[in-house]
Amino acid sequence: MTAIQKRVIINGIVMVLSTLSAVIGLGFLFWILFILVSNGIEAMNWDIFLFEGAPPGYAESGLKQALVGQLIIVGAATVIGVPLGILAGTYLSEYGQRSKLAETIRDVSDIMMSAPSIVVGSFVYAVMVIPMGHFSALAGIVALTIIMLPIILRTTDDMLHLVPTTLREAAFALGAPKYKVVLQIVYRGAKAGILTGVMLGVARVAGETAPLLFTSFNDNYMSTDLFAPMASLTVTMYNYATSPYADWQRLGWAAAFILSMFILGLNIIGRLILLNKKGK
Amino acid sequence: MSTICSVTEEKALEINKFDFTYASADEPSLKQVTMPIAKNSITALIGPSGCGKSTLLRSINRMHDLYPGNKYEGEIMYNGRNILDEKEDLISLRVNIGMIFQKPTAFPMSIYDNVAYGLRLQGMRNKTELGDRVEKALKDAAIWKEVRDRLKHDANGLSGGQQQRLCIARAIAVEPEILLFDEPTSALDPISTQGIEELVTELKDKVSIVIVTHNMQQAARVSDYTGFMYLGELIELGKTEELFVTPKERLTEEYITGKFG
Repeated sequence: MTAIQKRVIINGIVMVLSTLSAVIGLGFLFWILFILVSNGIEAMNWDIFLFEGAPPGYAESGLKQALVGQLIIVGAATVIGVPLGILAGTYLSEYGQRSKLAETIRDVSDIMMSAPSIVVGSFVYAVMVIPMGHFSALAGIVALTIIMLPIILRTTDDMLHLVPTTLREAAFALGAPKYKVVLQIVYRGAKAGILTGVMLGVARVAGETAPLLFTSFNDNYMSTDLFAPMASLTVTMYNYATSPYADWQRLGWAAAFILSMFILGLNIIGRLILLNKKGK
Repeated sequence: MSTICSVTEEKALEINKFDFTYASADEPSLKQVTMPIAKNSITALIGPSGCGKSTLLRSINRMHDLYPGNKYEGEIMYNGRNILDEKEDLISLRVNIGMIFQKPTAFPMSIYDNVAYGLRLQGMRNKTELGDRVEKALKDAAIWKEVRDRLKHDANGLSGGQQQRLCIARAIAVEPEILLFDEPTSALDPISTQGIEELVTELKDKVSIVIVTHNMQQAARVSDYTGFMYLGELIELGKTEELFVTPKERLTEEYITGKFG
């Protein structure tokens, strides 16, 4: 066999193997999406948005309490976690730079990012739920904020790092004070990247179940009290999907569908922002 | 040994026995540099890579202060004061001494906002006044005709040469007294380079210019005075035509005749 023939054959094998792997991976993805969408759409109707969860057998049954709870918990975690994460990332990139403190924060947040979310849940359980004596939405918000923080902090740090040093120097050379260089030049240069990080951070915590089981727990009825347990789409989905009742299982599919569409939407918006940025 | 010519014109800057040491280094990167810089003329700094040209240039607007631990010794006199003094207000210093970098540094905003940036930093809010100053700066930087119909467009859509002229417009919009050019054409094609060189020559009526360049021909083409630096020392400063034709120092001669570089 000549060297050329050998090369052609190896080339062919590698191509077939990699294509096959891609097809298998994508195949599962589309299978999941297909099952989710077909069951989800079947389960969807207006009642889901209008009614709270009812015992099995009742007609007017929905996910209102879980949707509202989800919005409150994820929304509040975002409101706290995003500015905190962006400011901490700004400290790392613009002020702390290569200092010991900054490097320690980077290491710790990298560890936190890969820490299982259930660990965060049990931490908040220990420091908030036990002292308070009961589950609360607040504890859920804190847990999700803790999970979101390192993601946003590190993306912000990385994205600000990508802004060329000469751009900062050019602004300083015009007589700009440091805070204006950060706010007007560096943030602007890293805008799309930071926004993508925020989207991914929110999408990540929106799908969390384990930390909420320990903290906000669940409520079968509508509640907006931050000091009381609160329903969320994920925990509700877990409860309904594992129940033996067909109409509860149907609600579980609906919750899965809504949640997936929400996260898919966030990801698509994130991509569009990046595309739009490149197009300019 | 070094040979420093006398500058008969009024001086924009006087650098005296200036030493500079980087935070990471034990030895100073600039040693006992003494150099007058003439007003309304162009002074070029040439020398092999790592000789300290850019380090000297970046000392003049105290760019090194952005990174902790760097040390200045000696003096750089400007308008009767030593700008290396700790009390020097770096913000107003940098308004008066502008800088153009090697790579174009267009900010991620519109062409108009780029040029208006320095003016706004100084608190200019009046739209008419801003508009006039932006237009004037763009005209002075010879880029007005190319951009007047797209002032609101993103500056990053411009070509490299256009971006560099935009940066010059941004720098001259605040009407500095001195402009520092740090190899402004090394990232540009020959035609854009020619455009920048012509522009630099025209600007000297309004500002005093110090330009660092790797390119000896460029120094010969644009400058009135040329300083040759080697290993952190200023070996020779002379009128450009004299330095290139009859260098006084052996090192200068060897460098400009290509014996090392």
